[in-house]
Amino acid sequence: MDIAFIAQIFPKLLAGLPLTLLLAVLSLLGGGLIALGLSGLRASSWIGARVADFYVYIFRGTPLLIQIFLIYYGLAQFPAVRHSVLWPLLREPYVCAVLALMLNDGAYTSEILRGGLRAVSTGAIEAARVSGMTRLTMLRRIVLPLAFRQALPAYGAEITSMVKATSLASVVTLMEITGIARAEVSETYRAIEIFLCAAAIYLVLVTVIARAVDWLEQHLSPYRRPTGARSLA
Amino acid sequence: MKPITVRLTDIRKSFGGQEVLRGVDLAARDGDVIAIIGASGSGKSTLLRCIPLLEIPDQGEVSVGDAQIRIRDSGHRFSRAERQTVRRLRGQLGFVFQSFNLWPHMTALQNVMEVPLHVQGRPRAECREEAEAMLAKVGLADKFDAWPAHLSGGQQQRVAIARALAMRPRALLFDEPTSALDPELVGEVLRVIRALAEEGRTMLIVTHEMTFAREVSNQAIYLQDGRVEEQGPPEQVFLDPQSERCRRFVGMSRGEG
Repeated sequence: MDIAFIAQIFPKLLAGLPLTLLLAVLSLLGGGLIALGLSGLRASSWIGARVADFYVYIFRGTPLLIQIFLIYYGLAQFPAVRHSVLWPLLREPYVCAVLALMLNDGAYTSEILRGGLRAVSTGAIEAARVSGMTRLTMLRRIVLPLAFRQALPAYGAEITSMVKATSLASVVTLMEITGIARAEVSETYRAIEIFLCAAAIYLVLVTVIARAVDWLEQHLSPYRRPTGARSLA
Repeated sequence: MKPITVRLTDIRKSFGGQEVLRGVDLAARDGDVIAIIGASGSGKSTLLRCIPLLEIPDQGEVSVGDAQIRIRDSGHRFSRAERQTVRRLRGQLGFVFQSFNLWPHMTALQNVMEVPLHVQGRPRAECREEAEAMLAKVGLADKFDAWPAHLSGGQQQRVAIARALAMRPRALLFDEPTSALDPELVGEVLRVIRALAEEGRTMLIVTHEMTFAREVSNQAIYLQDGRVEEQGPPEQVFLDPQSERCRRFVGMSRGEG
């Protein structure tokens, strides 16, 4: 392998890192809001719950790549979309990619949130009710903190899978890490070096995120560790 | 006569067509320790849970201190003002559950401080000082920073009692406080409850510990099929009940014990 070439390609790929991170952060933020919305919808009524279930079913049951294609290429077929005020936005590959990623992430995150909420024991909730807490205080002090702790490991996995999923944005011309890598390969035909470099960058990113989530989990739920293990950690 | 702290009037409650409470009246005066006994399914836990409206009666009136809620029918929806009254009513009670129900993400001290600090809005330093005093009182001065998961059942229940005390309640309600405990841990919890009775606190205790109930209470209530079957001083209810069914029940428990 050509070390000099790798040293040369690496900074080029790193230039795509900010866009990769931005795509991930925006889709996680948007997805988080969608997930909260879906939770509210689920709690609102029977119909609301069915609508939320259907949303999750569709977005988890179909490939993200096809969702991106549908939004990027598909929306343009509708004259109503092309003539709407949103068209200047929906025309942008960047907006389409974020939209697809965030709709997809919302479906997964809502299921994670649902699992976390379900794990909050009725005993903890009864103790809160009986103390005279308002619903809001109960949500803020007891229910959400417990649900969040419960959901954290699964959500950590969702964060890393979203970071990796941003690479799909390259198919709609976005020049994030994978997009740059593909462009370089088509110029130099050195697929192995370039894609391995790109993979290494994702690997480091994912490792850092997983470690951070682990740390947060230990920090928030020290009681989950057996008492004896604390000195070893 | 001392003033009435907790009063239930004509409480009725059904679960799925099954009548669990069929018109129960009860009044606890300041300083009363009332033992509520009865077989499983007699409605005694449901009755206790109706006081802080953890179960909403189908009909009846609950009053605690200066808060009063009246329910006329089972489809009752609380208005905003009523919800506020319910919170005020709950705020004057300390409830101790069979399964402790500590908040697992808080240490012992945080559990005890939570309501005074975040519900009653008292100053943090005062809350902390009082929480520490309450934990010391139940014999857990060395467990301030322990997580519930790292405490024994008896210790968790004592934290739960300290948590109830820290609310400065007018009355303490115990729902089978030792039923979930290993036999060797029952004593430490009963000792704490006994000490509270001796302080003159108003308490209602649902329990299967007959000897304890007789010794600690100044009034006993025997429930059968959702009705008060026998009521009076503990000597009468436990040793010389008028009702045949109560006589059989306490006789059986004596035979076992």
